[in-house]
Amino acid sequence: MLFKLENLSHRYSDGTLALKEISLNFAKGDRIALLGTNGSGKTTLLNHLNGILKPTSGKIYFEDKPLEYDAKSLLSLRKRVGFVFQDPNDQLFASTVKQDVAFGPLNLGYAPDHVKKLVDDALKTVGMTEFTEKPPHFLSLGQKKRVALAGVLAMQPEVIIMDEPTANLDPRAISEILHLLLHLNTENGITLLLATHDVDMVPMFANKMVILDKGRVASEGTPKESFSNTELIRKVNLRSPRIAHLFEVLKKEDNLPIDELLPLTISEARKEILELLNSGINSMPEGDKRKTAYTR
Amino acid sequence: MAHSDIYAHIDRSAYTNLLAKNSPITKGFFALSALIISVSSQSIIVPIIIFTITTVLLLRFAKIKAHFYLDLLIYPTAMAALSCLFIALFFGYGQALTQINLPWFTWTIFKNGITMSVNTFFRVESALSCLYFLVLTTSITDIFITLRRFKVPRVVVELSLLIYRYIFVLLEISVKMNTAQKLRLGNSGLIKRMRSVALVAGNLFIRTLEQGERTFVAMNARGYDGNIRVLEDLPKPKKAAIFGIVLFDIILAIAIFLTTNIGVV
Repeated sequence: MLFKLENLSHRYSDGTLALKEISLNFAKGDRIALLGTNGSGKTTLLNHLNGILKPTSGKIYFEDKPLEYDAKSLLSLRKRVGFVFQDPNDQLFASTVKQDVAFGPLNLGYAPDHVKKLVDDALKTVGMTEFTEKPPHFLSLGQKKRVALAGVLAMQPEVIIMDEPTANLDPRAISEILHLLLHLNTENGITLLLATHDVDMVPMFANKMVILDKGRVASEGTPKESFSNTELIRKVNLRSPRIAHLFEVLKKEDNLPIDELLPLTISEARKEILELLNSGINSMPEGDKRKTAYTR
Repeated sequence: MAHSDIYAHIDRSAYTNLLAKNSPITKGFFALSALIISVSSQSIIVPIIIFTITTVLLLRFAKIKAHFYLDLLIYPTAMAALSCLFIALFFGYGQALTQINLPWFTWTIFKNGITMSVNTFFRVESALSCLYFLVLTTSITDIFITLRRFKVPRVVVELSLLIYRYIFVLLEISVKMNTAQKLRLGNSGLIKRMRSVALVAGNLFIRTLEQGERTFVAMNARGYDGNIRVLEDLPKPKKAAIFGIVLFDIILAIAIFLTTNIGVV
């Protein structure tokens, strides 16, 4: 196991118990989506994984070794586990894009020539090469987010943690960043862990989904399994992806014979619809026919 | 132009002007030596030469827009003109230019007062042009790296770097808060406007603290250990350029000696 959390609890100094007895496992190469309402503990949980926060009780294992919090262990952990913050303005502190991306690798003690190469590669990966010499305040939010990601990529991490990677971005920027992340996962084998509210994005991206509710793990599984449990989704004040919701309505209200596991993406929905059409409405019980949109 | 626009524009031109890629050491050496020479000049000739040269460099070679340069010059020039007017009217000794008899005292305007005033005015203008030359052609990153190379204490350079970066973040926040207040009529009337400004100021202070905290965490997450390291890959100063500037400075220094105590009236 890459990460193993055992009964992890965290209490902030103001007394709020933000995480309660969390036990989770993440494997190498996973693409994990962490869902939950505001204040459910997502960010707190993420902050534990590269040592920003220390658990009040419980244990965190990274590759079967418990996390240690001395400067040297933290540096080696942070080299391997990169963290991209929600607001890129928090992260981009240097006066040019290049200097900001170089910050991490320079802290790892690499030689300037090697750092330059890492910076160039990282900026190329995120498609920001032409902005190398620009100061961050010249960039749009989407561009800043990509530079923030480059700053982490330049440290060549094995795991990338992102807090709300798609928040406040326009549709094009969202799709670009998702493709970029998928590419990093499939080509470079980087394990991804994203906290998000964007339920429509999750099925396109994640192979594993964890729902947090009031500091506890409410569910754990593939997006298909978790989103098909519509009762639970409502209980934790989330919603299903629009497409899943549509099929849930078709199934419940119109009694269409739809699989237990709801389709979540456009391609899954397309397949399901074609199957329904091919199998023919005739296979449905007589009484239900009149209720469906298919009967004229 | 609004003030925040001017700052942003100065910053933008420092990154985009055509001399941006030249060595900051060369540019800094030129600007500072010319500055020292022009303030030690005793006539208007050397300052006028320096002003002309820096202005030509800025407009012709760095391709700074002339109207923007004028915008920048106009406020300090107005202030200098006002101060120099007072110098002309109330300073000086020796030979009088004119005397005005007022009922309670005799007001004398001295010849060397006028000379001093005119000299000061041109020195100010040429010093301004030197500083603008540095500011408009050299990005703050280059200046920081150069300062570090010249062994300016780390803490000074690092603090300036962070302050510089977050000025723009906080400027943006304050502009947004101000707009939000205007939209809810927070600017109608003097009292309300003062209250609004006070609220923005107070809020910005808290925001600054929070921002500082978050940035510190984010820096830690990338292995910050108390030292901000930067990638030093500045263009090396060209020997010929440095030599040229030294020669230029020597000629100007000789010119200062030759033109000392040339009066204007």
